[in-house]
Amino acid sequence: MTNNLKVLRAIKNISQEELAKKISVSRQTINAMEKGKYVPSTVLALKLARFFENPVEEIFSLENED
Amino acid sequence: MKTHFLFPNKFKILGWILFIPSLLTFMLASIFKLDIDKYLNIKVFAIYQESIGQKPGFFEIIEDSFSYELITILIILGGLFICFSKLKNEDEYTSKIRYESLVWATYFNYFLILFFTLFLYGMPFLNVIVYNVYTLLIFFMIRFHYLIYKLNKTSTDDE
Repeated sequence: MTNNLKVLRAIKNISQEELAKKISVSRQTINAMEKGKYVPSTVLALKLARFFENPVEEIFSLENED
Repeated sequence: MKTHFLFPNKFKILGWILFIPSLLTFMLASIFKLDIDKYLNIKVFAIYQESIGQKPGFFEIIEDSFSYELITILIILGGLFICFSKLKNEDEYTSKIRYESLVWATYFNYFLILFFTLFLYGMPFLNVIVYNVYTLLIFFMIRFHYLIYKLNKTSTDDE
């Protein structure tokens, strides 16, 4: 699974730390998601979607191997 | 995040306080072959006992050294508190790391037991079984904290 969190975050001009606080996870978790090392739970994906005012599918997309 | 089965973060420090001195005592006693089983003689309740020089029996109050029992209790309680207290920033990613470390530690622990079952005979093997009371906790503790340390370290540089 890939995501464009980094891009969305750049558009909103918000740091990993600030985003982490908004959706109550650690900054390391945001970092791991941006690097594709961690696939978030549905709850966290929906929180991100709500924060970025984007549907989940706009933020996350499946890859061939998924 | 809602977490099941985890202690509050404060218990971690308590865990270290219980764990370190008792583990050190245990290790020093076994390295230098100190006979600490003669201290702390108290009356204990035994569901079943079969001590040397005593008639075996159920549900009896007997006198016995409580030093190894005390050390075992402190190591296990301390270890559980260290391993299973929430981190300061516990979230779903650290929960995943916690789970994976536990699986890793369980495999590692039983791999060692299998290895020693095959290649150690006699008294040394009994030692392995004795240490095994604590090793799963210790392997998990090391693996989990190493991964958390690595996580904190790698993600400090980029923003």
